[in-house]
Amino acid sequence: MDRTEQRARSILDTLGEELIGILTPVSICMFTVVLLVCLLNSDPSSPSSASFSSIATAAYSESDSDSPWAKLLGAFLNSLVFVAAITLATFLLVLLFYLRCLNFLKLYMAFSAFVVLANLGGEILILLIDRFRFPIDSVTFLILLFNFSVVGVFAVFMSRFSILITQGYLVVIGVLVAYFFTMLPEWTTWVLLVALAVYDLAAVLLPVGPLRLLVEMAISRDEDIPALVYEARPVIRNHHDSRLVQRRVWREQRPSNSSDDVENNEVVTVVRAEEEVSVSVPLIERSRAEESSETFLEGIGLGSSGAIKLGLGDFIFYSVLVGRAAMYDLMTVYACYLAIIAGLGVTLMLLSVYQKALPALPVSILLGVVFYFLARLFLEVFVVQCSSNLVMF
Amino acid sequence: MTVAAGIGYALLALGPSLSLFVSVISRKPFLILTLLSSTLVWLVSLIVLSGLWRPFLPLKANVWWPYALLVLSSVCFQEGLRFLFWKLYMRLEDVLDSFADRISRPRLFLTDKMQISLAGGLGHGVAHAVFFCLSLLTPAFGPATFYVDRCSKVPFFLISAIIALAFVTIHTFSMVIAFEGYAKGNKVDQVIVPVIHLSAGMLTLVNFASEGCVIGVPLLYLVASLTLLHCGKMVWQRLLESRNQSGPALR
Repeated sequence: MDRTEQRARSILDTLGEELIGILTPVSICMFTVVLLVCLLNSDPSSPSSASFSSIATAAYSESDSDSPWAKLLGAFLNSLVFVAAITLATFLLVLLFYLRCLNFLKLYMAFSAFVVLANLGGEILILLIDRFRFPIDSVTFLILLFNFSVVGVFAVFMSRFSILITQGYLVVIGVLVAYFFTMLPEWTTWVLLVALAVYDLAAVLLPVGPLRLLVEMAISRDEDIPALVYEARPVIRNHHDSRLVQRRVWREQRPSNSSDDVENNEVVTVVRAEEEVSVSVPLIERSRAEESSETFLEGIGLGSSGAIKLGLGDFIFYSVLVGRAAMYDLMTVYACYLAIIAGLGVTLMLLSVYQKALPALPVSILLGVVFYFLARLFLEVFVVQCSSNLVMF
Repeated sequence: MTVAAGIGYALLALGPSLSLFVSVISRKPFLILTLLSSTLVWLVSLIVLSGLWRPFLPLKANVWWPYALLVLSSVCFQEGLRFLFWKLYMRLEDVLDSFADRISRPRLFLTDKMQISLAGGLGHGVAHAVFFCLSLLTPAFGPATFYVDRCSKVPFFLISAIIALAFVTIHTFSMVIAFEGYAKGNKVDQVIVPVIHLSAGMLTLVNFASEGCVIGVPLLYLVASLTLLHCGKMVWQRLLESRNQSGPALR
């Protein structure tokens, strides 16, 4: 009685694993940002949310007394300034990459990771300590924060670190930057998100776009792009070859495996090392004259083993959208979360069809914004009407 | 309500689905994707319905027949969408089968197909619980709780969590019944799913009467247990059938 047919593993066991490998950290990042927003913003009298000046509010700072038209115009100006700053910084990155200043970029990435973890992380920790009245003295706090930041720098800077810790620190960096972006004024945030989606589309797909130039240069030189990217799958390292090349977008057509994105990962033959560097742009200017700057390359690509890589900028802006939705109501959060996940799924499907670098922001952000406004205007009234009368279907 | 009570209500509505998720669905990544996409489909259907009904809201307080119309239209729309979902699933099944052939793996088993429909149903149920129950819980954290006049014995959040649990069960298992019914062309199964959904929706209208929830909620649970029993019977029969079919064929 041959039961081998029952014992043979169905394709359902492993299909879609890579997608889940990317969805899980994105969901964790979004969930953490929503949690932080709910915990830290529930007290409207707190002074921390009052003043937040950054390059994104340089042109116009919103105040409640302005008319909607003035707010919209101001938000538009803000986004223009911000996108211009990001374009400039990305072109600077392209120039530096062209001049092969990789060590400089690498050091700058380490520095910016340290500043994010220490400065922004420290601020959020202080807010949390204040909120929960947690008893800790400043010396202990500083030592722990310093250790935390230094380990984080090593995790993203060195390529031989444990993959789980590296992934964890990347998610933490995403959470920290996203939380600070949610402190921007409301209209500015929404217009900025849409503007960034459009910018991402242009930068990756247009022939003159900076990100496309970067990708083409990296491919032609067979080098890795310096950036903070989240790699979804653990890397198996070859100890002989210390200089590994990991292509951000390229998927080599290996004859042994099928060219499908969804393949059985029993056979992992790819070996690579990473030289990851990152470049920064002035994103946040503290009024205390401390500057921290980072940019996180956006876009989605395939590592040479077929594992999906997502730029940290995508994590951040997804979480900013969801965090801003959380400031209104949790129903919008659920709607926006589903919209973003759907957008990510669509982008990944397009990735497996086109097999080249694709911008991960546009579809998700546009779907998220649409769902936010639909949920806020229509869904909420409907659902509250029904469920407050205990009528459900 | 307090955080502890809030977590309790949330677990009441979503506890069984959480255990289903952890034990069955989280083991296969494809089922997680199915769950997410069916949640999205349910959300889209809800948004379309709310867009259609928006000009007529807010409805008058104590009149029950607009709500009956609302439930009727919503259930019809969602059942129609379920049929379209099944069509999409059929296409997906073909793609998966041809992919399995290409990498010389066995085609989808019967249990695989049932697991996919279970994940789809669970997605609908979880979406219902999240939007009708959880989204009202989370703004209400604080020292007090809330009672509605029509159901004054029990806090509002508790009764909505209980109703949500019944609906989660109904949605989850009626999807399994529906997919099997469409696949086999079994008229009974095909008809019984909209009937269950509609009767469950209409039963919640009983809550309009003063203290109506005392009658309405147990009846709702009766419907939910009927769904569960019917689904169990059907699945058992199908599994026995398929085992008898493949039994004599073994060498």
